[in-house]
Amino acid sequence: MIRLNLVLLLAVMASAVYLVSVQYESRRVFTELDRARSESRRLEAEYERLQVEKRGQATPARVEKLAREKLQMRQASPAITHYVTYSGSAGADAAKGETP
Amino acid sequence: MSRSIQYTSSPLLASRTPVWRSKFVVGAIALAFFGLAARAAYIQVVANDFFQRQGEVRFARTLDLPANRGRILDRNGLILASSVPAPSIWAIPEDVDMDKAQMQRLAKLLEMPTADLAKKLDDEDKTFVWIKRQVDADVAKQIAELNLKGIYQRKEYKRKYPEGEAAAHIVGFTNVEDNGQEGVELMFNKTLLGRPGMRHVIKDRLGRAVEDVGEVIPPVDGQDLQLSIDSKIQFFAYQKLRDAVLVNRAHAGSVVVLDAITGEVLALANYPSYVPDKRKNLTGEQLRNRALTDTFEPGSVMKPFTVGLALNKGRVKPSTVIDTAPGSVTIGGATIHDSHAHGALTVEQVIQVSSNVGTAKIAMQMPASDMWETFSQAGFGQKPQIEFPGVVSGRLRPAKTWRPIEQATISYGYGLSASLFQMARSYTVFSHDGQIIPATLLKNSTPAQGVSVFSPATAAEVRHMLQMAAGPGGTGPKAQTIGYSVGGKSGTAYKQVGKGYGSDGNRKYRSWFVGMAPIDSPRVIVAVMLDEPSAGKYFGGEVAAPVFSETVQQTLRMLGVQPDMAVRPQIVATAVEESF
Repeated sequence: MIRLNLVLLLAVMASAVYLVSVQYESRRVFTELDRARSESRRLEAEYERLQVEKRGQATPARVEKLAREKLQMRQASPAITHYVTYSGSAGADAAKGETP
Repeated sequence: MSRSIQYTSSPLLASRTPVWRSKFVVGAIALAFFGLAARAAYIQVVANDFFQRQGEVRFARTLDLPANRGRILDRNGLILASSVPAPSIWAIPEDVDMDKAQMQRLAKLLEMPTADLAKKLDDEDKTFVWIKRQVDADVAKQIAELNLKGIYQRKEYKRKYPEGEAAAHIVGFTNVEDNGQEGVELMFNKTLLGRPGMRHVIKDRLGRAVEDVGEVIPPVDGQDLQLSIDSKIQFFAYQKLRDAVLVNRAHAGSVVVLDAITGEVLALANYPSYVPDKRKNLTGEQLRNRALTDTFEPGSVMKPFTVGLALNKGRVKPSTVIDTAPGSVTIGGATIHDSHAHGALTVEQVIQVSSNVGTAKIAMQMPASDMWETFSQAGFGQKPQIEFPGVVSGRLRPAKTWRPIEQATISYGYGLSASLFQMARSYTVFSHDGQIIPATLLKNSTPAQGVSVFSPATAAEVRHMLQMAAGPGGTGPKAQTIGYSVGGKSGTAYKQVGKGYGSDGNRKYRSWFVGMAPIDSPRVIVAVMLDEPSAGKYFGGEVAAPVFSETVQQTLRMLGVQPDMAVRPQIVATAVEESF
């Protein structure tokens, strides 16, 4: 009887110690998860910020200015555009030499 | 012996303790245990809530989970407005302990004078001072790296508007609390805002969350909003308008570009504008979305409606001759004039040369109520059904109150008022086979369902007249553009100066042009208005029509519409022989 009680006592003690360590581990992991989550939020926000910045660098105003000043480009007009029609039979048209 | 308790069997050690003493001790210990039990019951049962709460206060925390404000996108998914992290810098003045060099570096990073910074940190009684709200993320990072004592950062978000001033009036802006103040930001504030979430956590000694308690309410981010605006068209429209306003030394200007098939607003710009990110020294003049909030007498732009009504009712044909000689007509004691006397004109020519007399004569053949009905159907005097704050409805008085002379003047656009946006939308009647279609600021790629005002045949006839008006011999030949057939009507009006329209020396004008292209099956409607051009030229056909022309050219190119007119190609196609 006493032996059984002793075994049970030991089992309870072991279980209690294990519980404490699991609790500790779970809290540690939870903190880590929480940190990872906030890091992911931060990175998302950073991504959004960079997207906006990229967009800010590619606004029509800036593109136009650079094209005009740096690359000496000018606005296309229908007068300097060659229009081609594209359809399923485009290949056939081209073969016949009919470019509209 | 019976009166004492025997502790031992040996008579030598027998003490003569009275029984009551041991009973007393037992009773005292029992009482103490009872006290403990009572206390435990009090804590566990009676005052449980109180202690539970007190415990929670010490380790449980409620964290707000902020929702992101939705983005505003253009029709191609490009960002017009988005929230980015922008930490606010605050301080506890008492804890701040900086030397001069550090202070200077901080001030430089914050782009504020060192003296201002020092002043903010001067008041040691305060426990909280905003140093600067919503600084750029980069700057905040650098400040954090300085590692200053007593200087803290608070996570906040700020709206960024990459398109800047070109789209400012449409998109609007938010205040520091992230609430919409103007434009789409204000109108769709609820949709964009989202709903913040919440979570309860247990925190440990170091302030780390170690456990979730109960349910987590996740934040619901605001919805993204896709507008019908095309940011490229918006930019070019704004650019051309700005150039025209500056060249003509005008007070202000507006331009509206509508998709003639779907009723979407492709661009809507005003000048002067503002940069939404830098709103210091903002004036009402810059803030006003003139295209939607300013009304004026539409003038000649109304003539096609009067003529359209007469055609639709079968009163006239495009070839019917109207005698406009001698360039004036007297109705009910008042005389109306043409700027040039024209003699006999066909109905087509009345629109082409924009004859007031001809239009009035056509109008006088019809009952006023018919005109009122047509104009109302075309949206005049009605509030435009568009999702935008501060839209005005203009003014069109009921037909019963029109005197004959008023019926005549209203027929050519005086005696009623409308915004530029209303005018642009009203022209969908001609572009959309006689149907007026609802305009929208939200992307919508299906053709709009309209309400019929004129028959498709009438609409086609009026389109032809509009083409003549924008052609040689018309009032707005400068509206023409390479490759595309255009049609439209110009307008010029004296602005009211005091009580009248001003005398010859100090007259002020407003000039505009409303038209569409390509004329046979219109894709876009463009309306341009310049307020008080004062560089000599002031006719709508000279001041506003060139802006129309350039805007149409750019817009149709960007929409990929093939030119419908023969173009003399200027492509240099002579190949140079390659040398080996």
